[in-house]
Amino acid sequence: MSDLETKTTDVELTTFWARHRFFLLVFFTIIIALTMTVVSLVVYNLSGSAQLDLSRPGYQSVSSQVEREDNTGEFSASGSVSRETLEDFMKLFNEYGDRAKSVDAFNGDPLNPEILEFTDTTANQ
Amino acid sequence: MKQIVLGITGAFMLFVVIALTAPLAIAQSQSEQLSDEQRARIITNCTSMKNTLTQLKASDALLRVNRGKAYESLRLRLMDTFNSRLSSNSLDAEGMVSVTKSYDSTLSDFRTAYLVYERQLTVTMRVDCSKDPDAFHAAILESRTKRAAVHAKVLELHSRIDDYKTVVNDFYEDFKRVSGSDA
Repeated sequence: MSDLETKTTDVELTTFWARHRFFLLVFFTIIIALTMTVVSLVVYNLSGSAQLDLSRPGYQSVSSQVEREDNTGEFSASGSVSRETLEDFMKLFNEYGDRAKSVDAFNGDPLNPEILEFTDTTANQ
Repeated sequence: MKQIVLGITGAFMLFVVIALTAPLAIAQSQSEQLSDEQRARIITNCTSMKNTLTQLKASDALLRVNRGKAYESLRLRLMDTFNSRLSSNSLDAEGMVSVTKSYDSTLSDFRTAYLVYERQLTVTMRVDCSKDPDAFHAAILESRTKRAAVHAKVLELHSRIDDYKTVVNDFYEDFKRVSGSDA
């Protein structure tokens, strides 16, 4: 009698899964997709990629000003070393180095409260 | 056993007291810094300050992208390739490799410092300056400190570039001397 009851329950369960398998497939697919989306968004934000993404809303005004990569002037990692190659490298390095140092980035003090908060901007309007 | 329970309870009570009093102390010290007139001015200028912060955030993001590219390409296209070339010719590139490692580490610090600054600026922009000028003022000061830290890393990177230039120049002088005596 007990065996019969167990078998009946198994059959009922099998029938339930068989009957709803398409719905369950869709449901679990949505759950997996949502989980993956959340994980990727967390990684996108935590890794710092979000901070470099200028296609985000609010950054369109500056996204056109991104400097394009200049593919010229790469020093080859192979080949012999002579006085000329060293001079060529030094010239190239000075050029790149001066370009990298040309901007004193994040200089200035735009967040100085004296400037930001206590300048009465309404007075000029 | 009783002593352990008492110890844990005591530690918990201490934690609760610190957790409750620390924000009050901070808030008090912040409120001491602002006069009523300053508070009123923050509330009056709230919208324009938020706009300024939005513009600053966008321009700093552009600066980070462009400067980051310049610093990255200097390392990938010149430092790494030059070090590899010297090594493949069995020349002593130790000085250059050491400066490159230091440059790499500073570059990583620059990225982190910017990330921290950007997050703080975002937090600052979320503070409602029309309702809580004190918290806004404190957040502005925090952002300012973090922006200064990014600038310090930029200066450090510039200094590493100069260091690399110096070691390459020293190497060149040595190379000239050695190749001259060989000739």
